[in-house]
Amino acid sequence: MTQVLASRTETAAAVEQISFDRLYRSSRDDVYAYAAGLLRDAGAAEDVTAIAFERAFRRRARFDPRRGSARAWLFGIARNAALDELRRRKRQAALVEEPTDLAGIDAEHPVERSERRIAVARALEGLGARERELVALRYFAGLSNAEIAAVLGITESNAGTRLHRVVDKLREACDGVA
Amino acid sequence: MESHRNEPGIVAELEALRPRPRPSFVAELDERAATGFEPREGTLGAGSERFRGLFAALSWRRLAVPAGAAALVAIAVATAVISISESGQPHPEQRFAESAGGSPTPPKAVPTHAREFSVPVPEVSESAGGELSAGSAGGSAAADQASSVGPYAARVRHRDVERSARLVLGVAPDEVRSAAGEVLAVVHEYDGIVLRSSTRTRDQGRAVASFDLLVPSRRLSDALAALSQIGPVRSRSDAAVDVTAPTIGLQERARDSRAKVDALIAELEAATTASERESIESELGAERDRLARLRSRLSAMERRTHFARVSVRVVSDPEAAAAEGGGWGIDDALGDAGRILAIAAGVTVVALAVLAPIALILILALGGRRAWLRRSRERALGRSPATGAE
Repeated sequence: MTQVLASRTETAAAVEQISFDRLYRSSRDDVYAYAAGLLRDAGAAEDVTAIAFERAFRRRARFDPRRGSARAWLFGIARNAALDELRRRKRQAALVEEPTDLAGIDAEHPVERSERRIAVARALEGLGARERELVALRYFAGLSNAEIAAVLGITESNAGTRLHRVVDKLREACDGVA
Repeated sequence: MESHRNEPGIVAELEALRPRPRPSFVAELDERAATGFEPREGTLGAGSERFRGLFAALSWRRLAVPAGAAALVAIAVATAVISISESGQPHPEQRFAESAGGSPTPPKAVPTHAREFSVPVPEVSESAGGELSAGSAGGSAAADQASSVGPYAARVRHRDVERSARLVLGVAPDEVRSAAGEVLAVVHEYDGIVLRSSTRTRDQGRAVASFDLLVPSRRLSDALAALSQIGPVRSRSDAAVDVTAPTIGLQERARDSRAKVDALIAELEAATTASERESIESELGAERDRLARLRSRLSAMERRTHFARVSVRVVSDPEAAAAEGGGWGIDDALGDAGRILAIAAGVTVVALAVLAPIALILILALGGRRAWLRRSRERALGRSPATGAE
């Protein structure tokens, strides 16, 4: 009886480990992209990514599929870690954010596309943190509107509306640059 | 320029601007993933992360089983401790014997349900005429009653206490007669007096033996303890009435009466005329009658305090037969099980009374902390500035 229970526990742990590995592999770069997009600091984004996966790994037993997808759960943890980093920075010093590497864009792409990209990048820099977070979740991390809604604790339609407004704002900013 | 107006174009540019991690960071993170994400020293909140990790790894569902098991074990241990400590306490009969100044006697095995022991609270009151009336008075120690009588008697050091007791013993039907013999032997041993005794046999072999006894008050406790050894005690009640005040009142009235008689005798000797002598003799006769009545009442009162009235009933009891023959039976088992369950329920209620407020405070504190943390994080996000012109 004890052996059967132990065997079942080991099997459950193995399944849990495999599914977490799958989540890690599929979300590692997305989590980093989200954190870097929100914080605009590569070093802090790396720390936040590492902390997010540490926390998620330890809390993996608490994940309840009925409450949302695994990615939404993971990004909820990553968001808390990123916001904790923002709080910590505010307590310690003024936020020093890295500007987008526009030189790299210029070097890698044709002139016309580079101009466009530079305009979008500058427009992105002009967004507030909340708007930037939406962009990071949607276009950097690749979350669906439903997943964004779950991460932010809002309705799916609200998430879609907010995203639409942010894209409109970006477009207007790009037009202004042009 | 047109492409800027085209949303899909902006989306494509946004996706192209997606930050990508350094390969060295990816390699390092992969390595940590393979080893279970141990917090790195020197990184953001590594110490607190390790501490939190101890609790974070446990889900509520996983915590519930060991927590429930621990609670059950705690209740079982507390119940066992209380049961053992209760069984180590002296039997009510022993407590009575000790409180009454007698020597404690080891009680015979008495079934739990038979341990009916009552010590009525003394109810003593002094009437306006100085007579003391007592209802169902009780209590074992006379000193305890000093506060319940008037100030007149309260100053008296020696207390006159009238005692009485009722005892019902249950024995096997065929043992009633031998038990009755043992009762008489105990009365004899303690210099008691049998006022009345009777033995009746009823249907189906059931028998009852009744005794009205007088036992010297100073030996009452020992006598009751000895009587309780004859068979399982089905019920027992003891009563004590403090009669110090009426006794003193009678003594003083007798003393006054004696003095008046002496004075009348002196007056009689000094009387010179026949009519005067006749009047004094008449008064003297009445006073002597009064003195005799007072002395009679006083001696009756003294008898009542010197001897306790004890009523003993020995009844045939099939349960007693089972207890004598088989020892611990199913009824005893049920009784003990009920007692243990009652103790366990009591322990649970006490534990809940202690833990529930603590748990409530913890839940409120945790809820408050989470709400504060959520607001604090959202505030940090709201205050985060844009680097460009917003």
